[in-house]
Amino acid sequence: MFLEIKDLSVKIENKSILNGLNLNINKGEVHAIMGPNGCGKSTLANVLAGKEDYEILNGKINFKDNDLFDLNIEERAQEGMFLAFQYPVEIPGVNITPFLHSAINSKRKRMNEEEIDNLSFAKLLKSKASDLGINIDMLKRSVNTGFSGGEKKRYEILQMSILNPDLAILDETDSGLDIDALKIVTDGVNKLKTKDNSFLIITHYQKLLDYIKPDYVHVMVNGSIVKSGGSEIAAEIEKDGFQKFQ
Amino acid sequence: MNIQDNYQKNRKNIFFSENKDIETHRENLINIFENDRFDKKNNESLKNINLKNFIDFKYKYLIPEETSVINNNHENSYSIVSVNGQCSTFKDDKIEITKILDEDYNDFSKNNIIEKNDHFVNLNSLFLNSGFKIVIKRNNNIKIKISNIVTDDDLTIFQKNNIICQEGSSLSLIEEYENKNNSTSNILNVIKLEKHSQLNHFLIQDNSSNHNLIITSHSSCKKDSTYTQKVYNFSEGYVRNFHYSELIETNSEANLQGIFFLKDNNTSNNKTFVKHSAEDCKSNQVYKGILNDRSKATYFSNTHVDQVAQKTEGYQLSKGILLSDNASYFSKPELKIYADDVKCSHGSTIGPIDENAIFYLRSRGMSKIAATKILISSFINEELSSIDNEQMSEIIQKKLVRYLSKVK
Repeated sequence: MFLEIKDLSVKIENKSILNGLNLNINKGEVHAIMGPNGCGKSTLANVLAGKEDYEILNGKINFKDNDLFDLNIEERAQEGMFLAFQYPVEIPGVNITPFLHSAINSKRKRMNEEEIDNLSFAKLLKSKASDLGINIDMLKRSVNTGFSGGEKKRYEILQMSILNPDLAILDETDSGLDIDALKIVTDGVNKLKTKDNSFLIITHYQKLLDYIKPDYVHVMVNGSIVKSGGSEIAAEIEKDGFQKFQ
Repeated sequence: MNIQDNYQKNRKNIFFSENKDIETHRENLINIFENDRFDKKNNESLKNINLKNFIDFKYKYLIPEETSVINNNHENSYSIVSVNGQCSTFKDDKIEITKILDEDYNDFSKNNIIEKNDHFVNLNSLFLNSGFKIVIKRNNNIKIKISNIVTDDDLTIFQKNNIICQEGSSLSLIEEYENKNNSTSNILNVIKLEKHSQLNHFLIQDNSSNHNLIITSHSSCKKDSTYTQKVYNFSEGYVRNFHYSELIETNSEANLQGIFFLKDNNTSNNKTFVKHSAEDCKSNQVYKGILNDRSKATYFSNTHVDQVAQKTEGYQLSKGILLSDNASYFSKPELKIYADDVKCSHGSTIGPIDENAIFYLRSRGMSKIAATKILISSFINEELSSIDNEQMSEIIQKKLVRYLSKVK
């Protein structure tokens, strides 16, 4: 099993968010989690990425034969986990290019791979940016600073394509995107899909799943998965909403 | 020893002690000390310091044996080594350096802008033992680097400098304070910019923990002149930077910028005061601090706009990052506006490093310590990238790397 979440319960500031959540993802699979506002989708994404604000009450997570709780935030990233943020953080003064260069090399170092030099990285970055319709001038700017909502999401996908993760978690990547931007972003995700990597896509709407075809769709309510199945569940939610699952 | 005895004992070594007017002024100052007539409430010069340590001091001054050097190393560029606050006289067709005179002292004592309730300024006037005057002659474009050296332990330097930029002149002045001995330097700079002149004044402070540095400066700008001060404080000892700026004629400008990097038990007190006394003038004050361990800082910023100073633009900003729960930064921006057609703003933000930004960077594989360091660098990136002097930029970058290496 690539990612195995067993009976996970999590709280923050005395409020239970995840309650006995179970989820298994195999290599090469695309999973989608859908759920109403406040059901714990983003909490799950943050807990997987290692955000330290949460208290783990119970459960276990295995990722690539590692106990995920033994790895800190950066070790999880270096092991191949990637979170595309719902609200990417603006960091004025930190230039995109050296930041991404340093990020890719920290991963390579952990994998005992040779570090990528400046020139090769510049070529890689330029080519990936071009695939995502990102203007080269944007790469001279500070991380997410002054970006529109769409640009931020596109830049998250650019980072993902550069870091080439084993498990990518997309936390409401579709929010704030117009239809053209959504197509570019989802094309980028689809290009990255191989039999060796997996995706966990968190969304409210079926629209995103029209572009990225999931193998499994899960419905999350009150911090637990209440139903799992194929794409038909997404259609069911689109038609009837989440009410019937609550 | 009390101030009166201390002064009388060392009187013969103190500048201008034979001048009757100056003696009268000093007697008044002694009275203030002796009768404890300082207004201690809301006194910005008293924050975070033990006043007793600075008043009950042992006076010691050594006249430098070696002649300090002025080196015209290439055209329009001068290196000055100021030893114990003194440097030798020099004159060419572009600049003139002389000793300070009685009239310079009087000029200062009549200055109404510098806070009279400031005991450090009063101590400077009482025990004045060094200083020099630099005049940049009309229409010259000059670069000067001053290395301020203190030769021995336990010295108490009370120094007063006058810098005058004559009409149409331009001066780039770098001042370095890098002393490792157990001494105190109390320096007062009085800076005058005549019409159409410009002064870019950089101060690099990097003293060891046993060296106290107290700098008070005053600049006055005439028509179309610009004074820019950039202070970089990496010192491990106590540093006080107070600057008073007066825009006395139209279209003049004061830009005051300071960055301080504190750690351990270090303290830094900062103050800027800008008085807009004429129309169409601009001022911009930006102070940023990074505080680790148990360090403390204050920043008092004041912009005063006179009734006649219409079309004023005056901006103030202070920001601080606290790297430790035990560090503290007190910031108080103030605007006093008596004109009705002005653009002014002030703001202050102090807090710990942004945990969301740390999480974001770590989620891309960067270690916590690397993420912290990159965020500290980004916090001051705008100020550092605006340094248009290559030599300065390199010096500051090296000192920043050294500071960051101690951040855990």
